[in-house]
Amino acid sequence: MSDPFQGKKPEQPGLTPGCQRCEEQAKVGVYICRCGGNISDVVDVERVAEAARQMPGVATAKVHTFMCSDPGQQLITEDILAVGVNRVVVASCTPFLHESTFRGAVARGGMNSYLYEHANLREQCSWAHRHDPAGATEKAIRLVSAAVGKARCDAALDQIRLPNHRIALVAGGGIAGMKAAGDLAACGLRVVLVESTGALGGQLLGRGAVYPTETDAEHIVAGLRKEAEGNPHIEVLLNSRVRSVSGFVGNFQVTIEGRFGPGGQSATTSLTAGALIIATGFHPYVPAEGEFLYATHPGVVTMPDFLQMLQSAPGGTRMLEVQGRPIRSMAFLHCVGSRQIDGVHTPGPDGRLNTYCSRVCCTTALQQEIAVRRRFPETAVFDLYQDIRTYARGTEDYYRTASEAGVVFFRYRGEEPPVVEAGEGKGTRRTPLAVRVKDTLTWGEELRLPVDLVVLATGMVPNAIPELVDSIKLPTGEDRFLQEVHPKLRPVEVSVNGVLLAGTAQAPMDIRETLSAAGAAAVKAAAMFAHEDVELNPYVAEVDLSLCEGSGQCVTQCEYDGALQMVDVIVGDRSVRRAQVNPGLCVGCGACVAVCPQRAIQVNGWRLDQYEAMIDGIVAEVAVGAH
Amino acid sequence: MLRLAADSGRVDVLVVGGGIAGLQAALDLADQGLKVLICEQQASIGGHMIELSKVFPTLDCASCITTPKMSAAAHHPNIEILTSTVVDGIEPLHAGHRVRVTRRPTYVNNDKCIGCRLCEYACDTECVDPFDASLGATRAIAVPFTNAIPQKAVLNPDACGTCGTCARVCPTGAIEFDQQPETLEIEAGAVVLASGFALNAMTVKPQYNAARSRNIISALTMERLLAPHGPYGRVLRPSDGKIPGSIAFVQCAGSRDASIGVPYCSRVCCMYAIKQAMLLSGALPIADITIYFMDIRAFGKGYESFYQNAKAMGINFVRGKVARIVPAEDGDLLLHVERTEEGIGAIEPVRHDLVVLAQGMIPEWHAEACTPVHPGPDGFVAASSLTSPTATSVPGIFVAGAAAGPKDIVDTIAEAGAAAMQVTRWLRQEQQRPVEALV
Repeated sequence: MSDPFQGKKPEQPGLTPGCQRCEEQAKVGVYICRCGGNISDVVDVERVAEAARQMPGVATAKVHTFMCSDPGQQLITEDILAVGVNRVVVASCTPFLHESTFRGAVARGGMNSYLYEHANLREQCSWAHRHDPAGATEKAIRLVSAAVGKARCDAALDQIRLPNHRIALVAGGGIAGMKAAGDLAACGLRVVLVESTGALGGQLLGRGAVYPTETDAEHIVAGLRKEAEGNPHIEVLLNSRVRSVSGFVGNFQVTIEGRFGPGGQSATTSLTAGALIIATGFHPYVPAEGEFLYATHPGVVTMPDFLQMLQSAPGGTRMLEVQGRPIRSMAFLHCVGSRQIDGVHTPGPDGRLNTYCSRVCCTTALQQEIAVRRRFPETAVFDLYQDIRTYARGTEDYYRTASEAGVVFFRYRGEEPPVVEAGEGKGTRRTPLAVRVKDTLTWGEELRLPVDLVVLATGMVPNAIPELVDSIKLPTGEDRFLQEVHPKLRPVEVSVNGVLLAGTAQAPMDIRETLSAAGAAAVKAAAMFAHEDVELNPYVAEVDLSLCEGSGQCVTQCEYDGALQMVDVIVGDRSVRRAQVNPGLCVGCGACVAVCPQRAIQVNGWRLDQYEAMIDGIVAEVAVGAH
Repeated sequence: MLRLAADSGRVDVLVVGGGIAGLQAALDLADQGLKVLICEQQASIGGHMIELSKVFPTLDCASCITTPKMSAAAHHPNIEILTSTVVDGIEPLHAGHRVRVTRRPTYVNNDKCIGCRLCEYACDTECVDPFDASLGATRAIAVPFTNAIPQKAVLNPDACGTCGTCARVCPTGAIEFDQQPETLEIEAGAVVLASGFALNAMTVKPQYNAARSRNIISALTMERLLAPHGPYGRVLRPSDGKIPGSIAFVQCAGSRDASIGVPYCSRVCCMYAIKQAMLLSGALPIADITIYFMDIRAFGKGYESFYQNAKAMGINFVRGKVARIVPAEDGDLLLHVERTEEGIGAIEPVRHDLVVLAQGMIPEWHAEACTPVHPGPDGFVAASSLTSPTATSVPGIFVAGAAAGPKDIVDTIAEAGAAAMQVTRWLRQEQQRPVEALV
């Protein structure tokens, strides 16, 4: 192994020639993670460590199987105390996962947590170049070299502390919104609950009995509504929508439009909230005209339609009657608007397919089938499914019970969905509809089922909330649902700090799951509101007033409303225009840095001299010939 | 020894179980300023999740997600952790609960042990490593696994020959051969049951003959085989070390089966089988991989596309409940299964050289044996109502994660957050705790 920095060693180790910020003796500790093989199976981590030890300013370089584990983190804290390490570089997975983990370790060692740099050897090396171990190793060395270079120029930074407005705004008054609001109010926190319709309850209103307890949905809604309405800590705004949001965590400016003016006219109001909980929910999928003859044949209805029909169906007969018509046989068709397949299903108006499973339709269909068979034993019920997904606690019983109640099951393949067509036959044997299915339970037999009614078990589609998505740049997934940061690490948070997800705005969920998600969002808000201040990332722009000449180009370039503005400042005895940063709104994108003719504006933690140090590190003469 | 409890004589919340559910609930409570004690029966926190290789649907390595949460809990100023500790009883008091726990002897004094592992290196008694599904070896005294928390040695009294080598090499005099169980009483304002799941025995279905072949393995064993730091460092079949060429996953091998008393769905098996199949097709590109299933339950966010990707990768999905597994003389296995989709209908034996059984999830701990909570008909802790899924039949005792029924990691983490919220509400409302006290 030759010295990768051969011939380039600076005379004084620890100092980069020409760098004004590298004045102290930087002692960099480099910690390289094997990631249990995820990195070390491709990257020669020992070589990376060996190369790192030769880099200027590096006091120690160590390898560990899991740097993010406790023993791994302990290497850092021990070296800070024992070796006097005063800059830390961890070379592991993406900083998205564990930057904050290692900042915590650095702080526990007594260092400023911003004297820390991260090199990504997994996503950028071992995973990206798994068939080129030598190349991946060289790239890893260069990335570490860049991080070391930057670390040596790191200056201590403090998190920005701003007052926290301890009010939560909850958008959506379904069960998720009511639950989150009730939880926070019970902790003495103030909540504004905004609901677009005239009543709280959302999709559960008028839903009837719900699985798995067969509780009346009205009972569930009433309990949550009672907690929300008349609660001194909760302000309920009905017939209202959030029009726009600006600001940042702890300090969101929210504009709400609603019929709360005198006499119920439309009016606009503004408030400041520290956290936003998005509980805007879903609506049932509406099939396209002609999809399984929906909207072209009166005998084809959706599940929500059928729930109303069954609730209002006259009793006293042994056969279900719908609008005076006896239903001798009927079919429930699963996965309508869910689990759609490219080339089989027609995309929606936005060109997208609903490829996801909607989670609740299987059990709901079985529940309704059982209800039909029990109330109307002379109505034959067919169930056409791909997979019965009665996964939730207490729901497998629905499958068994439906089978025992005489429901006849037909299993189709997703690629060959059933076809609904006009019926045939004569006289009393004529049915208005027929369903053709290739049934894999009978080895692919092609069957034609004469039916009087087809119920489409429609899936969930997230409600469109363009005002929220656009004004706070909420991330959405390919499935149109709101996208969490990480399903396990930060499951109810989005990439915008202070914005939390509750319920089916994030993904299809049943009632229990929705209430759990709402509780999980509420507890994050409660933890946030346990502090007087919010702490923000210090990576924001800062103006050097000794250099700024007030060209204003930075303000023109800035894309974040209010993050940069021109203000009058007194310099000497005269008033001049100078740029000023609002650290709460600045995201540290650096667009301003690029246009300043005086180089008077820089992003803290990512200064231009640090970029230069990184580039120097990457292009340093790294030894590549050792393999 | 109990720092937080010693200060005030009690903790705000006692969490039973240091798996992902218990850790998440503890973190969400502690972040609000509540004092939390986690009691974990194993020698390390981390639960089942830390045993896993990668997790669906993101294929993140499980350690990368679990260890930071373990570490965050271990370093949280408001969290204290007791490992090797079992809960003997929970008794409701006028305000809160009295919890009796027993610390099992590890024969190492944790206050003295510095985790240097000199004892482990010096010990010459080898025994099977339970962390590696008993496929690998460890020493009679050892730190439980690489990223265990706490990093404290544990002596296995069944394997130890009491030669005294460990005591001689220990630089801090931490080895205590005469350590005895220690009983503690802790007063807790509220309790969270996060005691997780166990898998039912592979032998519950005698038709599968798991006792007759080492090549019929548990899914958790497959997790260890797939883990990059697992027992073999690669996937080999246990009986003879052969690289498997044809691997079968038998779904619902311990669930959805009234004949074995587990009529419910275990909820995670479809997805982990698909995940393991994907990882296997990466590790063993020429192997045939078949998943025998009744229904594929890919219901979570991103799960359906995960399933579709697996199909596109060439993993065989065969719909049919495996009726019988017959070991062949060469270590292979003959699966008798009706393949309904293929237009045959006949039951023909299919040969595979490694079989993974999707065992059912059952409760790890029967809380009703020593606490007043009620179990549901499935044996897991019952929820008090549909709208309070984390409340139990006893006020002040809550439940989260697989202790309340089978659940995947994503749903477990959400439910743990919900339980933490309910605990907070309860402590504030029932005990009239002022909000300021928590700030």
